Amino acid sequence: MLEIKNLHVKLEEEDKEIIKGLDLTINAGEVHAIMGPNGSGKSTLSYVLAGRPGYEVTDGSVTYKGEDLLEMEVDERAAAGVFLAFQYPIEIPGVATMQFLKVALNSQRKARGEPDLSTPDFMRLVREKADKLNVTQDMLKRPVNVGFSGGEKKRAEILQMAVLEPSLCVLDETDSGLDIDALRVVAEGVNALRSPDRAMLVITHYQRLLDYIVPDKVHVMSAGKIVKSGGKELALELEKEGYAAYAA
Amino acid sequence: MTVTLMKTPAEAAFADAFKAGGPLAQVRKTAFEQFAETGLPHRRMEDWKWTDLRQIISKALPPAARTKADAKAIDALVAATPFADVAKGRLVFVDGQYDAGRSAVPAGVEFATLAEAGSDRLAAGSTDPIAALNLAFMSDGAVLTFKAGSNVDTPLELLFVTTGAEAASYASRNVIVLEQGASATLIETHIGGEGEYLHNAVTQIHVGENARLDRIKVQEEGLEGIHLSNTEVHLAASSHFKDFTLTMGGRATRQQGFITFDGEAAESHVSGAYLLTGKQHCDTRLVIDHAVPQCLSRELFKCVMDGAARGVFQGKAIVRRDAQKTDGNQSSHALLLSDEAEFDAKPELEIYADDVVCGHGATSGDLDENHLFYLKARGIPEQTAKSMLIGAFAAEAFDDVESDAIRGVLTGLAEGWLERRKGA
Repeated sequence: MLEIKNLHVKLEEEDKEIIKGLDLTINAGEVHAIMGPNGSGKSTLSYVLAGRPGYEVTDGSVTYKGEDLLEMEVDERAAAGVFLAFQYPIEIPGVATMQFLKVALNSQRKARGEPDLSTPDFMRLVREKADKLNVTQDMLKRPVNVGFSGGEKKRAEILQMAVLEPSLCVLDETDSGLDIDALRVVAEGVNALRSPDRAMLVITHYQRLLDYIVPDKVHVMSAGKIVKSGGKELALELEKEGYAAYAA
Repeated sequence: MTVTLMKTPAEAAFADAFKAGGPLAQVRKTAFEQFAETGLPHRRMEDWKWTDLRQIISKALPPAARTKADAKAIDALVAATPFADVAKGRLVFVDGQYDAGRSAVPAGVEFATLAEAGSDRLAAGSTDPIAALNLAFMSDGAVLTFKAGSNVDTPLELLFVTTGAEAASYASRNVIVLEQGASATLIETHIGGEGEYLHNAVTQIHVGENARLDRIKVQEEGLEGIHLSNTEVHLAASSHFKDFTLTMGGRATRQQGFITFDGEAAESHVSGAYLLTGKQHCDTRLVIDHAVPQCLSRELFKCVMDGAARGVFQGKAIVRRDAQKTDGNQSSHALLLSDEAEFDAKPELEIYADDVVCGHGATSGDLDENHLFYLKARGIPEQTAKSMLIGAFAAEAFDDVESDAIRGVLTGLAEGWLERRKGA
């Protein structure tokens, strides 16, 4: 599904390398977790996968479903099934959540050569998914993320993911700012999307999230590289011993 | 030192054409003398520094009061109103003259054309030179009275079609009176054809005690047209005035609103949006006069400029010594979609009372990269994402419009503009 080889990334405006030779392969059906201290380059990796402007790939490659992901536009990546659940979802005043979801879904369908979903079918789809994530009708009536609490924003991200049904889900610190009940709801939403056709990359600072979203593999990232990989027990080890051993 | 400006060709044409005659000869003569004192406003006049009419009206556009367009061209322009399905009645003016055949006078409202109405229906008007020019040359317009306590089935549309069939200027003048407790929604639509012309429109509005007027103006003048407008509003006690203007047309637009609170506890909400491109120019000047206590005023303008378009917003609030408990706020926000687009804002507060809440704000910027990235990251192509964000920006000003049907028309106009922009 995703193959990252010797990836080097720097900020466009500064001569500062953030990712320094990262290798990672994720197969369909797998859930991988990347853990690491602040500043290790975890969020940068998620932004590079989604195509956020401001980052420059100086070396290496990212292959997604056999294609060069880095050559694709941001919206093309999304239409091809790459989804980034943002650590800080963006508030967009004036754009209604339902309209946003509908345009997003139908843009992706159009890019894949599928017909538009009709309004009633779309409404039904969203309502069904929203109920499971405790996303209220009132939230759906508001502009995108505007006035949402931290927890509401994260639930709204997972709702978008559930509606868009991506192949590769990248979750950037989805647990940050969530209390334990909200964490459980979000994790259930994510687990419901686990499937043999779908891969997930869960980026987190804390082991807590991985009690709910149990990964197949755990990687430790430090100073722009993956420095250790292992099974889910690696997360527990980290929780006990901290990141000190991996400091740059 | 006195600087005497040479008359421009346009000013000379006005002077040549002016003949004081008819029942309003004296009114016209005084008005023309007043205009002639300053001539066309120019950049050395503080309020006009961004809109130099001596330059903008570079050619002679002599006054005309008869259309030279053929019926088919007029029909096409009349049919172009976006409010065809929304308006409950329509008064059509073509090249400065009332067109009874194309109008549908609504029941329940007292209507006369300006030509029919007596001089007593004309307020003296402001000292503005453009309003004076209008008074000197006014040809026709609607004089409407909404009777006390009436709630006429509106919206009623005043449709001004300027065909551009001739390089000329047209002066229309409306007087709108809402008697005590009356309530109405009025649409003012300006549609123009190709060709150079000048449309100078004045609307005088009197909103009586406890009366309410919702006014929506859509300006789609031709792209060679020049649109000058003055709206003078007097608000009696506990009256309510809501005004929204969408400016999409015209080569150059100067629209002025003078709103005076004559009675206490009245409210005025003035909002507007610009959707401009090419070399279009639009300058809005508002003067809100809080002459009495306990009134509320709000102004919100959302201005979108693409190409080399130029937008200006000048908002002035005057709070007189007795106007305690005034609550006034104005803001203008510009979205600049190209490096050549430009926006200037001049907020002014003149406060003589001490127990008031007044504020103003102005912002100017381009589309937010984070917003754009978020939409694209969900699979929305760049051009569609931009259109959504521009539409959302402008729509904030539509939110003040009460009628769902009218808001729908405005949204449709904005979507059409965005589609044309994508196609360009």
